[in-house]
Amino acid sequence: MSGVSLSKMTKRYGIVEVVRGIDLEIKPQEFVVLVGPSGCGKSTTLRMIAGLEEISDGTVKIGDRVINEVAPKDRDVAMVFQNYALYPHLSVFENIAFGLRIRKVDKKVITQSVNDVANTLGLTEYLERKPADLSGGQRQRVAMGRAIVRHPKIFLFDEPLSNLDAKLRTQMRAEIKRLHKRLKVTSIYVTHDQIEAMTLADRIVVMNDGRIEQIGTPMELFNNPVNTFVAGFIGSPPMNQLNAIVNDVDGRLVAKVGNSLITLPKIKALANSSNREVIVGIRPEHVLLQASATSSPIAIELELVETLGSEALLHTQIAKTPFVVKAETRFGDVSHLDKVTTLHIEPDLIKVFDADTGMALATAIQD
Amino acid sequence: MQNIQQYTSRIMRHIRAEWQLYLLLAPTIIWFIVFLYVPMYGLQIAFKDYSIFKGVAASPWVGLEHFYTLFESEQFMRAIKNTLILSGYNLLFGFPMPIILALGFNEFTKAFFKRTAQTVVYLPHFISTVIIAGIVMSVFSPSVGVVNLLLVQMGFDSVYFLVQPEWFRPIFIGTGIWQEAGFTSIVFLAAIAGVNPSLYESALVDGANRWQMMWRITLPSILPTIIIMLIIRIGNILEVGFELIILLYQPSTYETADVISTYVYRQGLQNAQYDLAAAAGFFNAVVAFVLVLTANTISKRVTKTSLW
Repeated sequence: MSGVSLSKMTKRYGIVEVVRGIDLEIKPQEFVVLVGPSGCGKSTTLRMIAGLEEISDGTVKIGDRVINEVAPKDRDVAMVFQNYALYPHLSVFENIAFGLRIRKVDKKVITQSVNDVANTLGLTEYLERKPADLSGGQRQRVAMGRAIVRHPKIFLFDEPLSNLDAKLRTQMRAEIKRLHKRLKVTSIYVTHDQIEAMTLADRIVVMNDGRIEQIGTPMELFNNPVNTFVAGFIGSPPMNQLNAIVNDVDGRLVAKVGNSLITLPKIKALANSSNREVIVGIRPEHVLLQASATSSPIAIELELVETLGSEALLHTQIAKTPFVVKAETRFGDVSHLDKVTTLHIEPDLIKVFDADTGMALATAIQD
Repeated sequence: MQNIQQYTSRIMRHIRAEWQLYLLLAPTIIWFIVFLYVPMYGLQIAFKDYSIFKGVAASPWVGLEHFYTLFESEQFMRAIKNTLILSGYNLLFGFPMPIILALGFNEFTKAFFKRTAQTVVYLPHFISTVIIAGIVMSVFSPSVGVVNLLLVQMGFDSVYFLVQPEWFRPIFIGTGIWQEAGFTSIVFLAAIAGVNPSLYESALVDGANRWQMMWRITLPSILPTIIIMLIIRIGNILEVGFELIILLYQPSTYETADVISTYVYRQGLQNAQYDLAAAAGFFNAVVAFVLVLTANTISKRVTKTSLW
């Protein structure tokens, strides 16, 4: 098993920099998900690792070998494409066997390997079919089979599930996870869907505008986003962000949001602040409907209640800023949620970001 | 009866609803009627002893007499044979050429080189056949032609290519390829452009080289286009480049150059045997029709690709 290591990796098209010198260490057997909005450079990064794009600057290593100038076929990577890239004129068997045939592997070995892979992926009865006669999920499985059959050092996934419907996506997500558990091949997975990132990844790399915003385990990213971008990207629905003015009132930090005053956790960087502008981040899940001993109340305007079954989303406004709350229903009954006018917020669950830089201000717990 | 009425009224409703589309279609339909369907009325002279003075309708019927005459005529049989041979060679050498060109263009990575090369091979298509024939005649001219000058330079005797029957076929086929292969390659280039690029990327990661990609991805992907073009080509097998032959052949090369269409032209227009020429043309059309039907049916069975 090999790890992958990117150092100052850059991609330029003319003068436009789409990947701006990223550093990333991927450990052997790790499942790393690159996530970010469209155009953030995540796919380009993956394609540079695969060798489908030239690397403008920096280096990529697989194991200890620098592979900048190595041809894609000699990098020992396998890639699963968004649109599956199945050969329409070949049967499922031949599609899976393609890479082996190109490498002139012995025919008996090919038959054996393809049958094994088909067995693993539940494709045995479809081996003679053409891709056009398969469902979306089956095609996706064939695409994975084509990657698995070669036993590569690295799997690269380029948004492999985005052409599937929601139900199938959940199912295939679990299947990819299971497969990784069994094969333990280092995997790099690109997606714009943060739920896929959260559920699949050992570590998530959040990218934006050609840079890495944060690298961490799903829970690290969820609990301690380093900036407002990551806070707004991870979580579903994402973290609410409110503009606020902080004052240190006798050693107690108080943020003024609209007309409400919220007590903040102890943060060194904010000590002795007077009228400092910050962004207060509150996760939709972290809002209380009932006051606790330490919570501060905040007045809201309720706009809409969306019922999801056991949970409901309250779409509200605080000081003209949208604010989403996730609350539990009472066995599907939301009548108590329709009347909410005040929310309560626990200081320790609040994140504070600098208003200018968007960077997280460390909380007392970490100090 | 009522069914027919319902059917017509449904069609009329459809036309009223979609009249803009039918309006756009009208010029083509009118062109077909005026230039292809109305003249079919005149086809009957193939079965009549036609006289210009009596007119088409009043000329007496003679049944299949003209067809007997044709098939007993050595000249006509020779024309059929030449048509088939020229078409056969054309299919054999002329058909693969644009595909090879398109595959070749696809391998060029330098945009400038690719554009230049493409323009160079497209150009002859835009030159009138008369001028093409002129160029061919001067290139192969025994006294000032480039080919003969080269031959003489290399110590051979100069050859008067255009009066020798054995040279007519290569010259004709070569000229046809030179004139049309480049332009026809556009069809295949378009088909290649339609191939999903991630197929190549996937193959690249799988370890395929350019040659393998061409054989295993590009060619199978454009196979439906190749087959459609082949069907059209087979349907037109009896229509060899009439203009180019008329311009290049001479009585001394009739032996290999005279084809059905030139035969029809000579009999009909030069010798004023309209009825005989019509019979020859009719025979040609029926055979061509059968060929298209056959090619299409075979293709539908074998490759599931067909014109209709």
